[in-house]
Amino acid sequence: MSFEAKRCGVQFSPPSIVLIYQHRDTKKVRKRIIPVRNFFKHSDCSRAAEKLKNNPRHRDYLDSVTCSQLEKLHVILQDQMKGLSLEHSLASFHLDPEEDLNKLDDQELNRKKGQMDELFEKNRRHKDDPDFVYDLEMDFTKTMQDKCSWDEESDDGF
Amino acid sequence: MAGDVDSIPELDQKKYDADEQVKIICLGDSAVGKSKLMERFLMDEYRPQQLSTYALTLYKHTASVGNKTVLVDFWDTAGQERFQSMHPSYYHKAHACIMVFDVQRKITYKNLATWYKELREFRPEIPCCVVANKIDADLKVTQRSFNFGKKQGLPLYYVSAADGTNVVKMFRDMIKRAVEYKQNPSDFMDEVMQELENFDLEKKEENSEPDEDGLKAESPELD
Repeated sequence: MSFEAKRCGVQFSPPSIVLIYQHRDTKKVRKRIIPVRNFFKHSDCSRAAEKLKNNPRHRDYLDSVTCSQLEKLHVILQDQMKGLSLEHSLASFHLDPEEDLNKLDDQELNRKKGQMDELFEKNRRHKDDPDFVYDLEMDFTKTMQDKCSWDEESDDGF
Repeated sequence: MAGDVDSIPELDQKKYDADEQVKIICLGDSAVGKSKLMERFLMDEYRPQQLSTYALTLYKHTASVGNKTVLVDFWDTAGQERFQSMHPSYYHKAHACIMVFDVQRKITYKNLATWYKELREFRPEIPCCVVANKIDADLKVTQRSFNFGKKQGLPLYYVSAADGTNVVKMFRDMIKRAVEYKQNPSDFMDEVMQELENFDLEKKEENSEPDEDGLKAESPELD
């Protein structure tokens, strides 16, 4: 039997991942609450997500949910265990192009990288793809080039 | 020579004096995609060596330049960029530098000036390029001229580590330039260093006390 995940979220007490999914055959929509066990304040979220994804009881349901999404849900659960608000968790995933990421610690930086990875994976060409070219070259020097606004406030060197 | 950095073979920077070895360093802000670029270029060869004590990742690569085989060590920052400055040993004996920014984040472009300034303090003449990464996010950026490179006389590459555009070309060009530089170093400092090292050799043998942070022992400082 195959299922299509429609939405997913968390429930704080007891810590669980909530999944709304649809039976591909019957088209029936159901809710599944997956309690998150052996998961604590200092557990590794990415490992916990992977374990859950491969759990024999849940893996068929989680088939269309990505590891990074499951990881994010674990991070939210863990933040709550640490006493951080949901607003804080959600803000930490938000990418602000003006923010200086050099100033973040590892964990905060990884959250931002996780967000960037979504676009990376979406645009990624794998070496197994039929149209994969290892040495893909494109010449952009011949295209009309506009001035870049980033150069405008001319401080030293720009 | 017991006790100094020679006990960590990865960090024996004397090997970069050998003809067939070059060292290429990567610079740029956190999360601009430096490691992703390495991964795309090296593919199956991708085996990062984490030296977490030094906040450093090394990648080894074997390249052919002309009819010669060249061993390339790529140095990547592993979080050291957080201090907005790299340890002097990072620059020591480097033969080329790849400076990366993220086309979606202006601050990473603006910070190139800081990185470039530090690079030139240590390596005034080595070949360097500017890499505009993540063009897959919005191809229109390739119509923008980013003037920083041009003003410094550095080539600019529009690349995408995700779809692979111009990644291999950029790395091959830089390996070639690193080898050329090595054969014909224009850095006055290189010659001075060479002289100093030859001169210092005997003295060094005598007092090769392990330095506190190990790395420093390899980079004689000129004040």
